[in-house]
Amino acid sequence: MTAVLKPTLARCLWTAPAFAALAILITVAARSIFGMSPVLQESTLLTVAYIAGGIGFIVGIGGFDYWWTWMRGGELDPNDHSQHGAHSWGDYFKFNTDHKVIGIQYIVFTFVMFLVGGMFAEVFRSELAKPGQQVLTDQQYNGLISQHGVIMIFVFMVPVFAGIGNYVIPLMIGAADMAFPRLNAVSFWLLPVAAFTLLSSFMFGSFDGGWTGYPTLSEQSGYGMTLYQLGIQLAGASSIATAVNFLVTIIAMRAPGMTLFRMPLLVWANLATSALVVAATPFIAGAQFMAMFDREMGTHFFTVAGNGDTLVYQHIFWFYSHPAVYIMILPGFGIISEVIATHARKPVFGYRAVAFSSAGIAILGFAVWAHHMFASGMEPWLRVPIMLSTLLIAIPTGIKIFSWLGTMWGGVLRMTTANLFAIGFIFTFVIGGLSGVMLAVVPFDVSITNSYFIVAHFHYVLFGGSIMTIYAGFYHWFPKVTGRMYNEILGRWHFWLTFIFSNLVFFPMHYQGLLGMPRRVADYAPEFAWSNTLISIAAFILGASTLIFVYNMIHSARHGKTGGANPWRGLTLEWMLSSPPPIFNFPTTPRVIGGPYRYGEEGAKHAIVPEVEPATVETTV
Amino acid sequence: MKVLPLVLLGVVVGAVISVLLIVLRTLPVQASAEADDIDNLYIFFLGFSGIIFGIVVLFLLVAVYRFRARPNDEREGDNIHGITWLEVVWTVIPFVIVMLCAIGGLIVLRSGDVEAQARTSGQQIHVLGYQFGWKYDYLNQEINLREQSTLVLPVNESVIFELTSADVIHSFWVPAWRMQMNATPGQTNEVSITPTKIGTYEIICAFLCGVGHTGMNSALPDSIIPKVQVVSKADFDAWVAKQKDDAAKAASSAAADSAAGSVD
Repeated sequence: MTAVLKPTLARCLWTAPAFAALAILITVAARSIFGMSPVLQESTLLTVAYIAGGIGFIVGIGGFDYWWTWMRGGELDPNDHSQHGAHSWGDYFKFNTDHKVIGIQYIVFTFVMFLVGGMFAEVFRSELAKPGQQVLTDQQYNGLISQHGVIMIFVFMVPVFAGIGNYVIPLMIGAADMAFPRLNAVSFWLLPVAAFTLLSSFMFGSFDGGWTGYPTLSEQSGYGMTLYQLGIQLAGASSIATAVNFLVTIIAMRAPGMTLFRMPLLVWANLATSALVVAATPFIAGAQFMAMFDREMGTHFFTVAGNGDTLVYQHIFWFYSHPAVYIMILPGFGIISEVIATHARKPVFGYRAVAFSSAGIAILGFAVWAHHMFASGMEPWLRVPIMLSTLLIAIPTGIKIFSWLGTMWGGVLRMTTANLFAIGFIFTFVIGGLSGVMLAVVPFDVSITNSYFIVAHFHYVLFGGSIMTIYAGFYHWFPKVTGRMYNEILGRWHFWLTFIFSNLVFFPMHYQGLLGMPRRVADYAPEFAWSNTLISIAAFILGASTLIFVYNMIHSARHGKTGGANPWRGLTLEWMLSSPPPIFNFPTTPRVIGGPYRYGEEGAKHAIVPEVEPATVETTV
Repeated sequence: MKVLPLVLLGVVVGAVISVLLIVLRTLPVQASAEADDIDNLYIFFLGFSGIIFGIVVLFLLVAVYRFRARPNDEREGDNIHGITWLEVVWTVIPFVIVMLCAIGGLIVLRSGDVEAQARTSGQQIHVLGYQFGWKYDYLNQEINLREQSTLVLPVNESVIFELTSADVIHSFWVPAWRMQMNATPGQTNEVSITPTKIGTYEIICAFLCGVGHTGMNSALPDSIIPKVQVVSKADFDAWVAKQKDDAAKAASSAAADSAAGSVD
C-alpha cells in the first residue's frame, strides 16, 4: 500500500491520471464559464491532459519531492544519499540521482527505443520489398516513416549520447557526480514521457508529415500531429537540461590539474555538443510551440490562410535540426578518439586540432541550416553563402578522419570489437561525408534533393556514422560498467553483419535517388523493383543482427569473464577505478598530472589518486 | 614504412575507383540544356571522391594489416603526438577541394542565372500543385489546362515555371531535366529550364504531401499523373491551336447550355 505513496512507478499510475483529470476538469470549467463552444473540445482536452499527465508522471516518480519538501519548509538532509546508487535491479526503475545509474537508465531506455524505431523500418521495408502496395495503406506508411525518424532522432540518437556522457564524463574528469544530480534525473524521466507521447499518437492516427512536420501538411493531420509537437518539446526540454548539466560539470568540476588541454577528447566533444544543444534546441521547441498554437489555439504563425508563412517554419526548424546532426555525431567523434587511442596504444594524433575541430564544427554548424532548403524557394542570394559554409564544414571533419588514421599508424592495434566498430565507422563515414560535400553544391542538390540519394546520404552519416560510434562506445565501456568482458566472437559477428548489411541497405539508395526515386513513397516505378527487394532483404538481416548484440550484452553482463579495473589498459581516469566504479567514484580527489593519451611513454600517467585526501585541496584549486 | 609511396598508391587505387564510379554511373537521360553542366559536376565529384576514399581505405587496411597486435602482444605504439606540417597538409588539401567544388557550383549557378536574365522569349507556365496533381496555365498562349492534363512543351525553347500550391508543399521534379522546385502555398517559386530532347518524361512530386503522395508520380504503372511531353515546334503550335479550339467549343457549348437553362 505504501508503494503508491513513495516515489515509484506505482505512484505514477495514479499521479499522472490524477493530474490529467484535474487539468481536464479545470479546462471544462473554464470553457463553460467563458461560454466557449463546444465545452468538450476533444483536441483541447487531450492536449491539457497530456501536458498535465506528463508533469504528473514526473511528480509521481519523485522528480519534485526534494524541492517540494524545501518549499513547504520541511526537514532536508543535504547529506541524504538514499536516492543515490543502485543496490538492486529495481533501483533502475526509480528516480535515482547517481550519474552512473542515470547513464544506464538512458542507455537501456534509448536502446529499446532504437529497437522500436528499427521495427518500424522493418515494417515499411517489407512494404517496399516489391512493387505495388501490399502491407500498408498510404496513411499507415506515412505514419510509420514519420515515427521511425522521430523516434530514432529524438528518443534514441540524441539522448543515447547523453547517456554515454552521463556515465563516463564525471569519471573522466574525476568528479563525484554531475553538477545537478536531481536535474539530471528529471532530464532522464522526461524521456519516457516524450516517448509515450510520440508513440501513443498511433491511437489518434499518428503524425504523418515526415519527421520534419512541415506546415501546411501538419495542419491537415489528425490529432497525432499535436502529440508530435508536444513530444519534441518534451525531448527538447530533456536535452537542454542535460546540456546545461554537462556544461557546468565540465567547466566547473574537473579534477585539479585537468586543464582544458588535458581533457579527454570525449569531454571536449561533449563540451562542444552541449553548447550547441543549449543554443540550438530552443529553436525547434519554439517552432513546435508555434505550430502547436496554430493547430490548437488558432494562431497564424505558419497558416497560409491567416497570412502566416510556411517557409519561416522551415528556417526555424532547420536552424535547430542541422546543428542537431552535429549533436548526433560530435559525441560519437569523441568516442572514436577514445577507442582508437586506447586500442591502438598510441596518443591521439593532433590532439589540439581534433579538439578545436569539434569547436569549429559547433560554430560553423549554425551557418549551414538552409542547405536543406535549396529547392524551397527561399531567398536566392542565401544559396551561395550557405553552400560555402556547408563545404567549409567538411574541413574540420576531414581533420578528424585523418587524425584518426594518423593515430592508428605506428600503433599496436588490438582488434577488439570496439576497435572494429571504430575502424568500420571511418570507412562508412567517409562515404557519408563525401556525398555530403556533393549535396552542398546547389545545382547538384537541386537536381536530386528529396530523393533516395538524400536517404542514402543521411543514413550513411547517422547509421554508418553515429550508430557505429555508439556500438564502439558500448563495447569499449561495457567492461567498466558491468565489470565483465563481452564475448568477442559474438561481437565480431555483430560487427561484420552490421557493417556488410548496412552498406548493402544504404549504398544502392544513392543510385535509386539519382535515377529518380523520390523519398517517402510506399510504391515506386518498376525499374526499382529488384534493388528495393535487395535492400529489404539486407534490412531484415541487419535488423536480426541486432539480436546478437542484445544477447551478448545481457548474457555477458551476468556470465562474462571478469575483466578487472582496466582490461584495455586505458590511461584516462575512468580506468583507474574498479569496475563497476564505487558510489561517488573516487575515494579521494584525483590529481591530473599529464595529458590523457600518453601511450608509448614509459611509466606515464594521466593522473594519480592520492591515498588520503590532502587537507589543502580547497586552496590549490 | 614509407608513407609517400603509399599515398601515391592510394591515389592510383582511388583513381581506379573514380573511373569505375564514373563509367558505371547511372543517370536518367539528359533532356535539358542545364542537365549537362550538372552531370559534369557529378562526374567531378565522383573523381575526387574516389581518390579520397581510395587513400583513406588503403591507409585503413594497411594500418590494420601492418600494425595489428599479435596474440599476447603487450607492446605500446609510438609516442607521437602529431606532426604539424602533415596536419597543415591535410587541412589545406580538403580546403582546396571544397573550394573547387564551390567554384564549380558557382559557375553552374551563375550560368543558369545569366541565361535566365538574358531570356527575352520563351514559355511562361504557371504550375499549381494540389492534392494530388498538377494544373498548368500557359501564360503566353492564355491556355488554362484542366487538372491532370498533360504538360506539353516545345523543344529548345526556354520555359519559366511559376510554381505555387493550393494546399500543402509539393515539389515539381523532372529527373531528366535535373530540376526540382517546391510548390509552396502562399508563395510563387520560379525555376527555368530549356528542354532539348523530344520525348516523354516523368514528373514526380518529391515532397511528402499527404496520403496521395506516392501516387503523384507519373512513373508508376497505373499513375493518373500524365508524363510531360516535349514536342517539335510545329507539333506544339498544332497542339496550342487545338487547345484554343477546344476551349472555344467548350465555352460556346457552356454558353448554349446556360442559355437553354434560362429558357426553362
